[in-house]
Amino acid sequence: MIGAGIKRGTAELAILSVLEGASLHGYEIARRIERQTRGKLRFTLASLYPLLYRMENKGWVRGAWQLSAHGRRRRCYRLTPAGKKKLSPLRQEWSELFSALRRLAKVTHA
Amino acid sequence: MPDWRKLVNEHLAAIALEPYERAEVVEELATHLDETFLDLRGRGFSEVDAAKSCLSEVNDWPDLCRKIQSVRRKEDIMSNRITQFWFPGILTFVLSEVFFQLMQESGTRPWILAWGQPPIAMFYIPWLLSLPLIGGIAAYLSHRAGGSRRVALSSIVFPVPPFLAMVLLLQFQFYFSFREIAGVDIPVSLIIDWHDVQHMTALAFLSALLGWVLVPGAALLAGGLLVQLFASRRLDSRRIAGS
Repeated sequence: MIGAGIKRGTAELAILSVLEGASLHGYEIARRIERQTRGKLRFTLASLYPLLYRMENKGWVRGAWQLSAHGRRRRCYRLTPAGKKKLSPLRQEWSELFSALRRLAKVTHA
Repeated sequence: MPDWRKLVNEHLAAIALEPYERAEVVEELATHLDETFLDLRGRGFSEVDAAKSCLSEVNDWPDLCRKIQSVRRKEDIMSNRITQFWFPGILTFVLSEVFFQLMQESGTRPWILAWGQPPIAMFYIPWLLSLPLIGGIAAYLSHRAGGSRRVALSSIVFPVPPFLAMVLLLQFQFYFSFREIAGVDIPVSLIIDWHDVQHMTALAFLSALLGWVLVPGAALLAGGLLVQLFASRRLDSRRIAGS
């Protein structure tokens, strides 16, 4: 069973990664993550917003209301300098963890 | 299209947030459901199926309500600041002051490092030895309260700015007392060259900075960083065990 900390860590990495290139609203964030991970990672409304608000409190992302081309108000999130700074070590940390797990899995299967 | 604002509003009726903040959350979640619904309709879902899929985005509204409330409440942020920074920081300052007073009252003599005429640096060795322990306590308390490395570091060195302020204050007193003597009472230029006074003041300031700010700061940091290193290693091993 995957621990809550691991789950939150992957979710944070996913959100920071999709926000790296663009400012997006909540639904776009969820859709982009789903598309880019080919459906392996899926955020529902219930899982996305508490996490986005937590990341906003930490100062990694900032949300601001914007008007869409169709005149709809949406809260768009963008990465802050602190979020950009966080992304690189987070990627490194997860890459190391996955490499370690891959090595471990090979040993187990041998 | 279903009225998502009404639905979200009803489900979040019990959320304990400021009215404007609650309205923002309702608007944002309702917009998300609007987008989901329109997107599904665009992909060929029937209105009923699209609505069902939207409703399945949240299985447990009271749980979502609790989570959002706990994240967005300002009091929580404030209480984090208090437990992660202010409490360990102030405790560090108070403990270092109390240790210093106790040591002075016990009659401990300072170790004096002298170079040249007046500039001397005084080191109260027992006090300096107690500082790593105090820094360690601050790091532990901040870390236990969930503080980041930066916050823990700030709480460890919390007493350093007050120490610096005291040194600066004493230095100003020292400098201006010389100026007063030179200008009013006696012609100091006859006794001592004004340039020497300024030179002496600068040296005295540097020695005070060393004895009362830099070395105590380094002692606090030494203990604090050691505890931080230990705590982060424990956290890493827990994470690996958890994975």
